[in-house]
Parts: sequence; structure tokens; C-alpha cells
Amino acid sequence: MSEWATLSSTQARRPIPASADEPPTSRPADSNQHNSVTLGPRDRVIGQIYIEGDLRVSGTVEGEVEVTGDVAIDDLAKVKASVTGRDISISGQVVGAVIARKRLEVTRSGSLIGDVRVARLTIQDGATFSGKVSMGAAAEAPAKGAETKPVVVEPKPVAVEPKPVTPEPQAVAKPTASIVATPMPPPPAVKAPTVPPPVAKAAIVPPAAAKAPMAPPPAAKAAIVPPPAAKAAAVPPPATVGRSDGKGGKARNQPKKGKPKRR
Amino acid sequence: MDTQQAVAEGTHTDGQSDSKRDGQQQKFTLGPNDSLEGKLTYGGHMAVDGGHAEGEFRVGGNMDIGNGSVVKALIEASNVTIKGVVEGKLTARDKLTLGKAAKMNGDVQARRLQIEDGASLNGYVRMGDFEQHPG
Repeated sequence: MSEWATLSSTQARRPIPASADEPPTSRPADSNQHNSVTLGPRDRVIGQIYIEGDLRVSGTVEGEVEVTGDVAIDDLAKVKASVTGRDISISGQVVGAVIARKRLEVTRSGSLIGDVRVARLTIQDGATFSGKVSMGAAAEAPAKGAETKPVVVEPKPVAVEPKPVTPEPQAVAKPTASIVATPMPPPPAVKAPTVPPPVAKAAIVPPAAAKAPMAPPPAAKAAIVPPPAAKAAAVPPPATVGRSDGKGGKARNQPKKGKPKRR
Repeated sequence: MDTQQAVAEGTHTDGQSDSKRDGQQQKFTLGPNDSLEGKLTYGGHMAVDGGHAEGEFRVGGNMDIGNGSVVKALIEASNVTIKGVVEGKLTARDKLTLGKAAKMNGDVQARRLQIEDGASLNGYVRMGDFEQHPG
């Protein structure tokens, strides 16, 4: 059996449909045979994976991973996803929330950035880890709620990169926490949009719309400010005007707009 | 003359502490029946061996928190080894080790981190060089 070629090692037992790209989701729970999926070093998955069985990742995964069995993330793997599983072993790079129903192990070559809910946790010397750890009773009670949360949170960064837009208000508290904190604390805030991910997209659109209104006021200011600008116009360096007025790049544009009008 | 002697003694003790650094660094141990409450800044190593400690401990050397000890404190030390129960913010300038029976409740910052199976940890963990921390 070629290790990388197949997504499912249980071919013999169950005929796999022509579309082998997706792991079988309709797998009967009663089957005793173990399903194990391997993503090779050149494989890449972007989106959601649900696997009843074990998963081994050596390639790239982005999105959301939910596995009923064990998860092994190899040295070369790069995972940007929320990962849920029973036993999870991380030797590669993982960014995202991790929920291990049984045990999480980060080996010396592993790197994990993200919040963690686990029953047991092992971190070997040399490993890198940043995030919030919840163990024991604290981990089990809210675990279910948390499972849905990362779902919502993850798609956003994957689909677009509006991270700065959404997280900022929520995760202002800690700079690093922005990544880390997002999955867990924001749940209440995020919950509203939780149900329909499209809403989140809608949320993304508005900012653009919001930007438009944002822009005008400065423009208006520019209109008001003209006197100084005009004075500046007398002096050659307009750039200096922009700098002195402008708190950011936006401000620079305004003076420019102002000049052509005057000219 | 007396003052000169005193000065001489002073320098002498300084020399001793240096030699201690070279060889054995001073160690301050809190035994099973001991308890400490308050703020402690200490150049050597500190060990809590079954005792109870509460407050703020800034230790130049290593900090060992043994089995059965309970520490509720802000802790800062080079290497921190925990086998007991700790509550509070902890900073390990070098390495933090959580032993099998360790229970750590609080935020943790360390350059290196090792957690053995069976240990319990609740809180934020931050790793890496400390320059990164404020930025």
C-alpha cells in the first residue's frame, strides 16, 4: 500500500468513490476497522476536514481539522488550522486552536501557537509554544462551545485577510493575544455572526463601506484647512505639509488633492 | 584602624560571595514546616521543599518548588522547576519545567518550556526571547 497515494487506508473494506480527494465522511461508526488518513509532504488541504479515524499530516493544511481519532503532525508539516482530535502529537508547525480530548504532545521540533484545551499536555524541551492552556475541568466544560468558535474564526483568515479589521476591537488587550485570544474570548462577540459565516463576510464588506465615510471627513478637513495648504503652496515643499498635517498615509493624499484644485 | 579592618572584611565577604557564584551558589530552602509570606529578592537559588510560600519572589538563580509545596506568588527566576502547586504569574528567564505532579495556575513566560505528562497547567503561555515580550 503506497503510503502517500491514498487518503484512506481502508480501501479494501470499503469501495471508495471516484472522488477520492475528500475523505469519506459517511463512514459508519460501527465499523471496527480503523480509518487512517495521511497527507503527504506535498499535499495541501485548504478548508475543512472531518475524519473519522486518524490523521497524519506532513504537508500543508489550512482551515479546520476535526478528527475523531489521533492526529500526528510531522516535522515538515505546516498547519494553520484549528485542530480537534483525541491524541494529538505535534512535531511540525501549527498555528491555531488545538483541542485534544485526551492528550496533546508537542515534541522538541514542534511549534504551536494558539490556544489549547486538553486533558493532558506534554511539551518537550526545545518545543515552542504560545497560547492559553486550559486543562482539566476548565477544559472540558466549555470545550463544546469552543469547538464551534474556532470554526468561525478560522475561515475568515483563510478566505480573506481581514484580521486587522475584526480582531482589533476584540483583542486589543494583548498584542500577541490577538492570534491567540481570538478563538476563545471573543466567542460572545463572534457568536452573533457565528451561525451564518456569510454574515462574517458581510462584516468584511462594511469596513470598506465604512472606509468611504472615513475618508470624507479628512477630505472635508482638507477643504477646511486650505488656508495653511495654500500658504504651503507658496512654499515649494508640499510633502512637508502632508507630513505635518498627516497622521498617516491618508492625510498625504488630501493635500495632494487640494493642490490640483488650486492649480 | 577599625574602619580599615571593617572595609577589609567587607571586601573579603564580597570575595566570598563571588567564590560562591563560581562554585556553589547560595541556596535558600523552605522546609516542610516553614512558611514565607512577603516579597523576596534573592541572588542565589531558592527551593520550596514542602513548605508554603506566598508573595513575590525574584530570584537570581534557580527556583525549585518541590512535591507537596504550595506557592502563591509572582515568581521570577532563571530556571524554574515545579513539582508542587503554584498559583500566580511566573517568569523563567531560562527554562521552566513542570513535573508530573505539578499544578500550575497562572500565566507563564519562559524561554524554554518542558511539561511532563501528568502536569496540569492553566493560563497563558508565552515563550521566546524577552525582547519580544514588550514589543
